[in-house]
Amino acid sequence: MIKKSRFVSDYKKLTMTLPTLRYVDPERVYIHLQNARCKTYTLDVKEGDKVLLGEVIGVRHGGFFEQPIHATVSGTVEGVEKKFHRTGRKTDVVVIRNDYQEKYHSSVVDRPDSVIEKLTQDDFVEIVKDRSLVGLGGSGFPTYVKLATKEKIDTIVINAVECEPYLTSDYRLILEHPQRVITGLKYMMQALGVKKGVIAIKAKYKPLYEVLNQVLRRNHELDIEVKRIGNHYPQGWEIEVFKWALGIEIPHGELPMKYGVIGFNVSTTVGVYDAIKHNLPVIKRYFTVTGDAVKFPQNIRVRVGTSVRELIDACDGYVDDVEEGLVVLGGPMMGTSMTSDDVIVSKTTTSVIILKNVDYKEEPCVRCGSCVYSCPVKIQPVQIMNAVKRNDKEVMKGLEAYKCIECGLCAYVCTSKIHVTDYVRKAKKLIG
Amino acid sequence: MKIIRKTSPYLRRPNANATRMMRDVTVALLPVIGLAIYKYQMAAVMIIGVSILGMMATEYIFYQVQDMLNGDKFKLKNKNYSLYNFSTITSALIYSLTLPDGTPWFVVLVGAIAGMFFGKLIFGGLGQNIFNPAAVGRAFIVVAYGTFMTFSVDTVAGSTALGVLNDNPFSADLLSNFALIDLFTGIGIPGSIGEISAIAILIGGLYLTFRTSFEVRIPLTYILTVFGLATVVAIYKDLGIWYPVFHVLSGGLLFGAVFMATDPVTSPITKPSRIYFGFALGVLTFFIRVFGGLPEGVLFSILIMNMFVPTFDYFKWSNSRFTKKSMFIFTIIILLTILLTLVGVYYVG
Repeated sequence: MIKKSRFVSDYKKLTMTLPTLRYVDPERVYIHLQNARCKTYTLDVKEGDKVLLGEVIGVRHGGFFEQPIHATVSGTVEGVEKKFHRTGRKTDVVVIRNDYQEKYHSSVVDRPDSVIEKLTQDDFVEIVKDRSLVGLGGSGFPTYVKLATKEKIDTIVINAVECEPYLTSDYRLILEHPQRVITGLKYMMQALGVKKGVIAIKAKYKPLYEVLNQVLRRNHELDIEVKRIGNHYPQGWEIEVFKWALGIEIPHGELPMKYGVIGFNVSTTVGVYDAIKHNLPVIKRYFTVTGDAVKFPQNIRVRVGTSVRELIDACDGYVDDVEEGLVVLGGPMMGTSMTSDDVIVSKTTTSVIILKNVDYKEEPCVRCGSCVYSCPVKIQPVQIMNAVKRNDKEVMKGLEAYKCIECGLCAYVCTSKIHVTDYVRKAKKLIG
Repeated sequence: MKIIRKTSPYLRRPNANATRMMRDVTVALLPVIGLAIYKYQMAAVMIIGVSILGMMATEYIFYQVQDMLNGDKFKLKNKNYSLYNFSTITSALIYSLTLPDGTPWFVVLVGAIAGMFFGKLIFGGLGQNIFNPAAVGRAFIVVAYGTFMTFSVDTVAGSTALGVLNDNPFSADLLSNFALIDLFTGIGIPGSIGEISAIAILIGGLYLTFRTSFEVRIPLTYILTVFGLATVVAIYKDLGIWYPVFHVLSGGLLFGAVFMATDPVTSPITKPSRIYFGFALGVLTFFIRVFGGLPEGVLFSILIMNMFVPTFDYFKWSNSRFTKKSMFIFTIIILLTILLTLVGVYYVG
């Protein structure tokens, strides 16, 4: 088929209408001491120590920032182990045994609205930094860095598009807690001194549009608009959200802040709400367990640090007659495939998708051009693939392979089922 | 469940595969084949049969020999061969339909073997070929066996509608020999077995467009370019609207535009390049027809432009979207082409 095709079958029906289960009391939680951005850490607790919910137990050291590590349950520290992180690497985790007491640390106290009204941008930055909030959509970029921007911002855009197939955790989050989303956005607008907020959702999500507007009617002093933008993939890519919601096109390599817009994921917005209102770090998050190889796909509210294996058991395990399967953390288009299901839910993990393994038969490329037509960054994946095959770096650079966002659409649309994305990824690595 | 590791994305478009695309072309050719068999009966059956047999046997033997040289075990049916994904049968059908009905069987066979071998296999098989295999086969026998390729009317090659056109490109008597409606339906005019009926080809083209199995921009720009240039000539020579319509309907233009120029393997890869490609084909075809020595320009213009496909796709200027600069240059080239046509017509008389 030679055509531009940016609609990906989304399989969201599996979990979209299911109310969120609660799985917030695991026996043990495993808290990552390292992640993709922070390689080193210092741990302030040792085996046998009692910790409280929300207590700072150590610090992760990143390149230009530090992140406090918070305990997500109250209980006893059982030592340090190695477990898989969502990036596919084994990292150190600290194990805390849950005492089911839910005792909050003394730092976790609600802020009255009168106090919040007086907070300045610096206060916001300080709180968010202290609560170690990061981009919860999967980027893991520290939120305080974004909030501390000195550029003049006109509009805050909340990205609630969730364009990856299968995922419904953001969808359920908004449906069940629209008030928190709006309040979080209100706080950020206050922090950045912004008058206008936009919440971008998919056009087909009518229920979200209605619940958000219902809340907005009660907060009519806020200039917040809910925009229903396209249904295609990758609509949730920040640049694409800005383009569709505001009509602002941001060229490759430039920061959106320069153009007066700033984007936050919807989970991050709720994280900001928790941090400002309750002074709470991210201890729970919405999580989707889905895929065609899991018996009962579910949306689950989980504690950060829960083992994915437990969650899969909570969904009644794998489908019986599947011989080979994939365990994917994140979406099926851009997520990471794991070698084991012994993975830990970190702050930035949105979902686990269990797929039956299908070995696609690759046919020779017939140069149909579907990948070129569909590419959201307007590069030519098939030409890059040919350049990789003959190791021609000049051509890879000339074809702007570095622009690739690895959305996976080129491999998805390929008529010959070639894994084009892999070649482009290789090209990106080769030209550094 | 055994957990295995792969790289993203893990999903693929459900109903996309190369076989479907090739099969669609075969289906789209059915009306043309039906009409050819209805009109030429056994002659058409023979030509189509021999060329399918020739091309498939060539490919089959080639890969068996290749496997033998690689030391692989002999397998009568190897599912990995591109033989089984309709690409060969598509080439064979297209090749056979461009032949005149009087072509002897051995000429058909030689062309089929040459087209398959020199047009496709020698480059590395499906997806690697530079030239359209069907066009290579056809060109081979035009050059080697020109006198054998006769039409069923009593005259030699060159008596088709375009033959008349080639002798006297701007004469108003063209219509006295061939009515436009006959050219449209294909009944009662001489020509290659598959190229005579515009309506059958258009049905196939519409089917392909509907199934998105070919790039509709190429035939559209191709035909529009020929139509446009012929219109320019018609206005200059005061010939009337029948002249461009005649150009579009006669000869192998429609067939070549819909089935040969659109072979994705031998056409450029980006949208703008495909439009430029169609335009260049149109210009070449028209120039060969009006100014050249051959009665038919479609075949050679396709072969010539196939050669330039890598040039269209060269990374320094190929762009997947139209830019202001490329539009500007394209407009200038269109204007220059019109000028060139008028100058040519002025000198040809």
